[in-house]
Amino acid sequence: MRLLKLISWQYVRKHLLRTMLTMAGIVLGVAVFVGMHTANQSVLSAFNKTVDRIAGATQLQITAGESGFDEEVLERVQSNPNVRVAVPVIEAVVNLNLKTQSNILVLAVDMTGDRSLREYDLEDGDETVIEDPLVFIAQPDSLMVTREFASANGLAINSKITLSAMDGPRTFTVRGIMKSSGLTSAFGGNLAIMDIYAAQKVFGRNRKFDRIDLAAAEGVSVPELQKQLAATLGPGFEVESPSARGKQFESLSSVYGMLANITSLFALFIGMFIIYNSFAIAVTQRRSEIGIVRALGATRGQIQALFLTESAVLGLVGASAGLLFGLGIARAISASLGNFLGEIYGVAQRADEVSSDPRLLLGALVMGVVTSVIAAWIPARSAASIDPVLALQKGRYQQLSKGENRVRRQMAAVLFVIVFFCLFFAQDRVIFYSGYFLTVIAGLLLVPTLALWLSKAIRPLMKGMRPVEGTLAADSLIQSPRRTSGAVSALALSIALVISLGGMARASYDSINEWMRIALNPDMFLTPTQNVTDRSFRFPASFAETIKQIPGVRLTQVVRNARVLFQGNPVMFVAIDIASLRRESYLPAIQGDSESMYRLAAAGKGFIVSDNFAELYKVKYNEPLQLNTPTGPLSLPVVGIVRDYSDQKGSVLIDRNVYMKYWNDDTINIVRVYLDANTTVAEMRARIEERVAGSTRLFILTNQDLKAYIIKITDQWFGLTYIQLAVAVLVAILGIINTLTVSITDRRRELGVLQAVGALRGQVRRTIWLEAIAIGVVGLLIGLLFGAVALYYSLEMSARDIAGLRLDYTYPWNMAVGLVPVIICAALFAALGPAEQAVRGGLVEALEYE
Amino acid sequence: MISLSSVSKRFDGKRQVIALDAVNLQIEKGEMVSLVGPSGSGKSTLLNLIGGLDRPSEGDIRIDGTLLGGVSDDELTRIRRDKIGFIFQFFNLLPTLTCLENVSLPLHLRGWPATRINERARELLALVKLEKRLDHLPEELSGGERQRVAIARALSVYPPILLADEPTGNLDSHTGEEILALIRELHERLKATVLIVTHDRGVAEACPRQIALKDGHIVMDKKG
Repeated sequence: MRLLKLISWQYVRKHLLRTMLTMAGIVLGVAVFVGMHTANQSVLSAFNKTVDRIAGATQLQITAGESGFDEEVLERVQSNPNVRVAVPVIEAVVNLNLKTQSNILVLAVDMTGDRSLREYDLEDGDETVIEDPLVFIAQPDSLMVTREFASANGLAINSKITLSAMDGPRTFTVRGIMKSSGLTSAFGGNLAIMDIYAAQKVFGRNRKFDRIDLAAAEGVSVPELQKQLAATLGPGFEVESPSARGKQFESLSSVYGMLANITSLFALFIGMFIIYNSFAIAVTQRRSEIGIVRALGATRGQIQALFLTESAVLGLVGASAGLLFGLGIARAISASLGNFLGEIYGVAQRADEVSSDPRLLLGALVMGVVTSVIAAWIPARSAASIDPVLALQKGRYQQLSKGENRVRRQMAAVLFVIVFFCLFFAQDRVIFYSGYFLTVIAGLLLVPTLALWLSKAIRPLMKGMRPVEGTLAADSLIQSPRRTSGAVSALALSIALVISLGGMARASYDSINEWMRIALNPDMFLTPTQNVTDRSFRFPASFAETIKQIPGVRLTQVVRNARVLFQGNPVMFVAIDIASLRRESYLPAIQGDSESMYRLAAAGKGFIVSDNFAELYKVKYNEPLQLNTPTGPLSLPVVGIVRDYSDQKGSVLIDRNVYMKYWNDDTINIVRVYLDANTTVAEMRARIEERVAGSTRLFILTNQDLKAYIIKITDQWFGLTYIQLAVAVLVAILGIINTLTVSITDRRRELGVLQAVGALRGQVRRTIWLEAIAIGVVGLLIGLLFGAVALYYSLEMSARDIAGLRLDYTYPWNMAVGLVPVIICAALFAALGPAEQAVRGGLVEALEYE
Repeated sequence: MISLSSVSKRFDGKRQVIALDAVNLQIEKGEMVSLVGPSGSGKSTLLNLIGGLDRPSEGDIRIDGTLLGGVSDDELTRIRRDKIGFIFQFFNLLPTLTCLENVSLPLHLRGWPATRINERARELLALVKLEKRLDHLPEELSGGERQRVAIARALSVYPPILLADEPTGNLDSHTGEEILALIRELHERLKATVLIVTHDRGVAEACPRQIALKDGHIVMDKKG
């Protein structure tokens, strides 16, 4: 510790800016990790809190996916003597078009039994509404809202709220305002209670419920009851504790969690290079100091410990700052994540408070320190091995072992051979990821060699552009590969990440556009909800008939889609008239014979599954697949696999007749409308509005609207992943600033000479700028090369573990070209500070600088 | 050619150091002057001030009639590159550039065309008898050769003033004599004003005018 105070602290004080830049890598990595995970946890925790608060005394919940189930199920459950109370529930998130414009969670319950499970503590209103549930039921326009919601929207007792119900606009009356309590704080306080039978009409649920909440009779074991009910109801029903719903939500947000991990690990990995670079440079610069300390009696172990302790302290300070920063950004991320999950999966969720897990924070702290220590390990060892005699001799400053790059090249060659063999056994997950990891290591080992070659290659070009500045800038890179290789590695990794993301984005957009062209070819889409991922409201079956009769409609196709649990994961099924689909939107089978696929599926003799479903759940063509329905298990073979992008978690297409039979549900989510040749979309919109005006809740999307909506969601998805890009580029910029700061210190005399022989300030600045550009260009070129490999692995990862989508490999050339100005500008930006520092130093001191 | 009027230079720190104290000095065009004095007497400081590498705390400095005080840094650089050539004790060649490139450096900075730069740089290297070392890097040259390259670089635009800070200080005596002879020869051929800071009595005496500094004051100014 004494050495740390005497030597390290003095060095840190003298190079405060560089120390801060070095720490910035850790700060960012930890901040991203904490920010993204805390946001994820906050959204999950908000969901769990909502579930928990709404659950009240509920011990078990019965569901059948999103499709709901018939009322008679309730009777069967209630008839079980071990059930103390069982009540039906419909739950939906709607926008009431009120002042705050925020969504509200409508909890529709049967007041006669529900008060055994939940407490409705009225602050204002007619107590008889609650005291006598029949009063509430007798007035089906009753609504109870929370104090928070009422205050925010200026509502009082007897205020009227108009809700666009399935059978047209309905006016509800606020008959109770609930006191702030556990229940009312669910969904951020935006909660309304409605009678369940009114809700069935409002939401178009026919005579179905979403869920049954129940409590066991006294003395009955809940797990026993759970088993009993599961056996009675059959595999089509889930009987779970309320907390199990959190797991399903977690499963939906798992892709985001994985993304958070990749992003933060990548940021830390890049940060590691910056730390390595800084320490490697510090060891070189402090050679004589180390030599003196060694000559005075310090052991190798003490020197190594000195540098490692320095790095640990740096890591600790950086990680602590990262924690604070991460918690700061978690709120903003959680808000957008909540919306994002709502848009993509239709599970609206809001996180009003950031909930941080102490284990996560501790883990992030440890991660920051460990990253820093690992990064400093090699420089610390090289510091310990410094020979005091040599270190005290002048002129041996910053010599890179000539054999160093050769050894690295040899190691890289060996690793590439191993990677090559890994490719043959890539179906094994461990071998695949090992191959990826070894490819990254081999690539990084090659960076100094590639950087040197490229620097030499661009020297004539730079000399041609600016004979003095260009030459000196290129030479600076060539002469100090150790100084620049860290920054180049960090930048190359960032660029590789960007290219792999860009390649995935491009492949995704290409594939989605092609899929939309075939699968989404109707002229119009009619839905009862504002967006197609929200399935709170449903049309009755008769609605399609009404539309069909409108002059100008050539054809209608009805779609019912919902999530059901498959292997414990909520997957999407799409029920549609398969024969009609074959005629109008012929998606070819990528496995199986297309004709027989459509024929068998239309006859109810098979499932058609999307390729991502097949990939994620290891489902194979022609093998049987079992879906659990409310009326019992439905087992059919997979008659074909198609490329379908309906859902990120995979989708199963079945014929509508099969669905209606097994799910006993004829409601509709979407009506696809084809027009005849003489009718325009505008004309048809007017006719539909005229026909259903005021009698049906309806949103009309044109073909372009829907496609634009899907592209918007895809943009959001890639927008989220581009956080990675921003973080990576930011860390890389920090790397360049760090390298240049060191470079101008190293080259102080050179820059002084340059000024002494007549270089103007502008010319010195240009030297630094050109050096930054050279680092940028070299990093960019290596990154573009690495990106080609990273793209292959990213597409494989996407197919295997993220979305199950097999996308075509297409190198994103446009993005590669677009990156050139971005990186050059970023490098120039990074060079601004160091360049000013270079011209502001005293000339006399610079010329005397040793 | 060089005129100093009441020039002082103070270095502020925990303890103020007066490097030069109200120095007055006139050096005429074409003179060859040596500047001697013990360490810390202020001779390098004086050279740096005349060369425009540093600015005085007080007083005026004129180079070829141009007052250095009050001009911008870039203007000072322009004066330096047009009127002054520097020769340093440690040569200060750029290690990554060849002899030809090192000599070309100030010319490139002036924006000369490439062919003219090439011609001039070759001519200068021939002048210092290094025409066979054009493509050598500094590390491939002896100390004397490096100093010759540095001299060639200092002469790149044939400046009217040549400032040399211990030009033989880092060389053995034989090589030092050769370099001094070269400087004298160039002085005679080019008629430049030469100011040499030196510790070496032989070098000092070889100059027609000798100035001695002590504690920031001129204590001797001897001609002939």
